Amino acid sequence: MTNPEQSVLRLLAEGEGEFRLTDPDDLRAWMRDRKRREFVDKTATAREAVARLVADGDYISFDFSSYTRGPQILIREIIRQRRKDLWYCAKFTLMESTLLVAAGCCSRIDVGFLGLGDTLNRAVEEGRVQVTEWTNGTLTLRHLAGAMGLPFLPTRALLGTDTLRYSGARVVEDLFTGKPIALVPAVNPDVGLIHVHQADIYGNARCFGPGVSPLETAMASRKVIISADEIIDPEDIRKDPGRTTIPYYLVDAVVYAPFGAYPGGLPGAYEMDHEHFAEFFASERRGGIQEYLERYIFSVEFHEEMLERRVGLARLAELRRRAVIKEGYR
Amino acid sequence: MSQASPGPGPRGSAPDPTETEVMIALCARLLEDQRTAFIGFGMPQVAAILAQRLHAPHLVQVFEFGAIGPIPLTPFVRNTMGGPANCYRSLAWTNMNTIFAQAQLGLIDYGVLGATQIDLYGNINSTMLGEDYRRPAKRFPGAGGATEVASYCWRTIVIMLHERRRFVPRVDFVSSPGYLDGTPGARERAGLPAGTGPWRIVTSKALFGFDEESKKITLLGVLRGLSPEQVLAEMECKPLVAERVEELEPPTARELAILREEIDPAGTIIGRRGKA
Repeated sequence: MTNPEQSVLRLLAEGEGEFRLTDPDDLRAWMRDRKRREFVDKTATAREAVARLVADGDYISFDFSSYTRGPQILIREIIRQRRKDLWYCAKFTLMESTLLVAAGCCSRIDVGFLGLGDTLNRAVEEGRVQVTEWTNGTLTLRHLAGAMGLPFLPTRALLGTDTLRYSGARVVEDLFTGKPIALVPAVNPDVGLIHVHQADIYGNARCFGPGVSPLETAMASRKVIISADEIIDPEDIRKDPGRTTIPYYLVDAVVYAPFGAYPGGLPGAYEMDHEHFAEFFASERRGGIQEYLERYIFSVEFHEEMLERRVGLARLAELRRRAVIKEGYR
Repeated sequence: MSQASPGPGPRGSAPDPTETEVMIALCARLLEDQRTAFIGFGMPQVAAILAQRLHAPHLVQVFEFGAIGPIPLTPFVRNTMGGPANCYRSLAWTNMNTIFAQAQLGLIDYGVLGATQIDLYGNINSTMLGEDYRRPAKRFPGAGGATEVASYCWRTIVIMLHERRRFVPRVDFVSSPGYLDGTPGARERAGLPAGTGPWRIVTSKALFGFDEESKKITLLGVLRGLSPEQVLAEMECKPLVAERVEELEPPTARELAILREEIDPAGTIIGRRGKA
């Protein structure tokens, strides 16, 4: 028998960090009305997809990381189209947050891991970018809550930390055990950006290897853009359904993006470009990030032009050659 | 063996270890075979690989993006935690929610983390310096995945350079939990899993544990050639000192050979030779 006094959920602590609350029924209505069940060709260029699906002020989340299977082509296109006031989910980023902040696209960041270097540190110190503290794990758990259509999920992380104080988490006394437990609110990004190995034209997508949260990110996001290194026949999807990571109805656009994770790598296909990252970090350190943005984003019109004119086919071939480990990635 | 001359000795012995090599070797010795260990970015990766090559071939490394039990390919390539070289020959590839759930469940024995700053009770700061959070004197990248590791693993090992300002009485910001305010049961009262917490701190000069009662950092060992006083002088906080302070053997020729020849010949993590 439950003592009625014990059945009141006691709030023990509350973070002061901001977050956007989603009503699960609003989300369901969105999923009912906006996610197409028809099999339609969703292929688009990066320019078209970003123009149509990424708006100023959007909350954006990406998968997987700067170095490995990241949707770098889409991040660059967002910068090229000069979106403003984005709220960026930095859960596994070393480069994108720097680029977005340096280009003036981003005014809020949920941290995880902010990224490296003074471009970001100064922007935070000077209050040009507002951060909310989370952890990689709790940001990813917030995506799981968002992906389940739930308002929050409980976790035993964040407890006892100052991170909690500046997050949006709440600590309550668990009704079942009586122990303190942290509740993290769902995040339902406006846009999920996910790079994958293969997708068909409808959006059925496969990614191979470990990762952060491709499926949760796709399920939690209102709009989903997939960039795919390879477009495959829908019949291939049906021949091996165990390898499908993301089913088509979650996806709003499919961008054919060979080397779309560049300068990061795509496991089994091409290695990350270590020399490029070294150049990026060096230019960040000497205050040359604007030149970097100009060279790799603003001075070229699209991804393939950047690959041809700024990276070069010989370099791309070399990165393919370096990808000697294939097991598990096809 | 002739003494004191730097560089290769008469039997072709290796040059003096770098500070990073000391930390990595001391850390590797703590990792037991046939155990699970949650491995952080950078130095912890190299320490885990060294342990695998020496006494712990079946050390099961797990990573925050979900790789379980890889036998990373060497030479170690920096920055490739989620890439194919580090995830080579894994037992399973999962994802972040799954692997942190397994840690929360109690399946992961060790957590191995690098840290920017730590305090007397093992609380880790990777967020900011300064009195006022809203106006940080210095901003750092943030908690990353270390909070989960430090909250869930049974024994957390922290690797850090031995510098005065990194060891403080109280961190400005608790990014990842140690023993909090040090009062008995503080972690459990906060709701953290019982029986967890920082277990060892490995530095370039010493090895520390935590006092059972007070939960304060306790000096357990110093690198051969150093005195406890020398080690403690380079810390802003005042740790306890164990009754018997062990002498720690510097990296052995075998450890150094594996580190320098097999794991990191380019010196991307361990540093250039002779730089000490």
